Amino acid sequence: MNASAPRSPRATDDDAPLDPREALAVLESERSRTQRQLEPDVRLIYGVWGATWLVGFLVLWASSTGRGPLVLPPPAAGSTFAALMAVAVVVTGVHSTRRMAGLRGTSSTQGAMYGWAWLLGFGCVAALFTSAAGAGASAEVMGVLAPALSGLVVGLLYLAGGAMWQDRAQYALGAWILVTSAAGAIAGYPANHLVMGLLGGGGFLVAAVVVAVRGRSA
Amino acid sequence: MSAEEVALPDLDPVIHAPARLRLMAGLAVLGDDDRLAFPRLQELQGLTAGNLGAHLRKLEDAGYVAVEKTHRGRTPATYVSLTRRGRRALEDHTAALRALLEPVTARTPSGDASRGASADSPGGLA
Repeated sequence: MNASAPRSPRATDDDAPLDPREALAVLESERSRTQRQLEPDVRLIYGVWGATWLVGFLVLWASSTGRGPLVLPPPAAGSTFAALMAVAVVVTGVHSTRRMAGLRGTSSTQGAMYGWAWLLGFGCVAALFTSAAGAGASAEVMGVLAPALSGLVVGLLYLAGGAMWQDRAQYALGAWILVTSAAGAIAGYPANHLVMGLLGGGGFLVAAVVVAVRGRSA
Repeated sequence: MSAEEVALPDLDPVIHAPARLRLMAGLAVLGDDDRLAFPRLQELQGLTAGNLGAHLRKLEDAGYVAVEKTHRGRTPATYVSLTRRGRRALEDHTAALRALLEPVTARTPSGDASRGASADSPGGLA
């Protein structure tokens, strides 16, 4: 149509303009690609925590009841649980830090404050456990307290995160973790480990799938 | 061809080059108070430091991005953000692109015809 056009608009040359349709497509794809790269992938985070809760709590439950496919002696079950948790903490921390790397300003301050909230929350939970054990709490009391208090912190922080980032899936997961923790506490030790593993771990995994399916359709 | 040529002046040449369009779109994701470190931006955009620097200079000259040179401890660090003016320019540019397509699609009821018409526009733009 325009024989004097010096370059084809489809050339990869940086200065060659795009036609409007291509330009709009580039704008949209670049926007969503950058958005994804600058925030943690919650599919990964929910997936890791779902697997950790499912396997970790089931190992604890099997060891205290003697049921299930893998019955470890209690010390081995305890260290397996702790090791799984440690791996999940490291994966989450490293992944989130990498995604937020190089960002400065409100978003990164929000992210850092939220990250510290987890550390402070679990620091407080650890102090409570130590104190309760020191005050002579029985293994059964500790067995009820530990998952319930941890679940309380996780649930509340997901509610807060969901509210702050307007993320309904995260908010729903937080509510579900609170319900699970309450149900586990009511069920008592050691059934609470089964509840936390199946409903809590399962909840994380369902959330990961929901976010993945929604992301693909968006 | 006249419809497209009349609309051409609305397309901002500073933004319309593909590399800078991508750069502006990427920076527009940041919140109003957010800045992104140069190396991270480079990684996200897949550009060499020299290339990114050159494009940023053009955008900075137009007042579309702010380049802030600072220090993290003793190492110098450069942070890039979209200015209010840049955000506005990108919005205007997006609107201009949509406007270029709209009359064509509105005039022609069938999808085939609109595709044919849009194939003409690159010639007009280049």
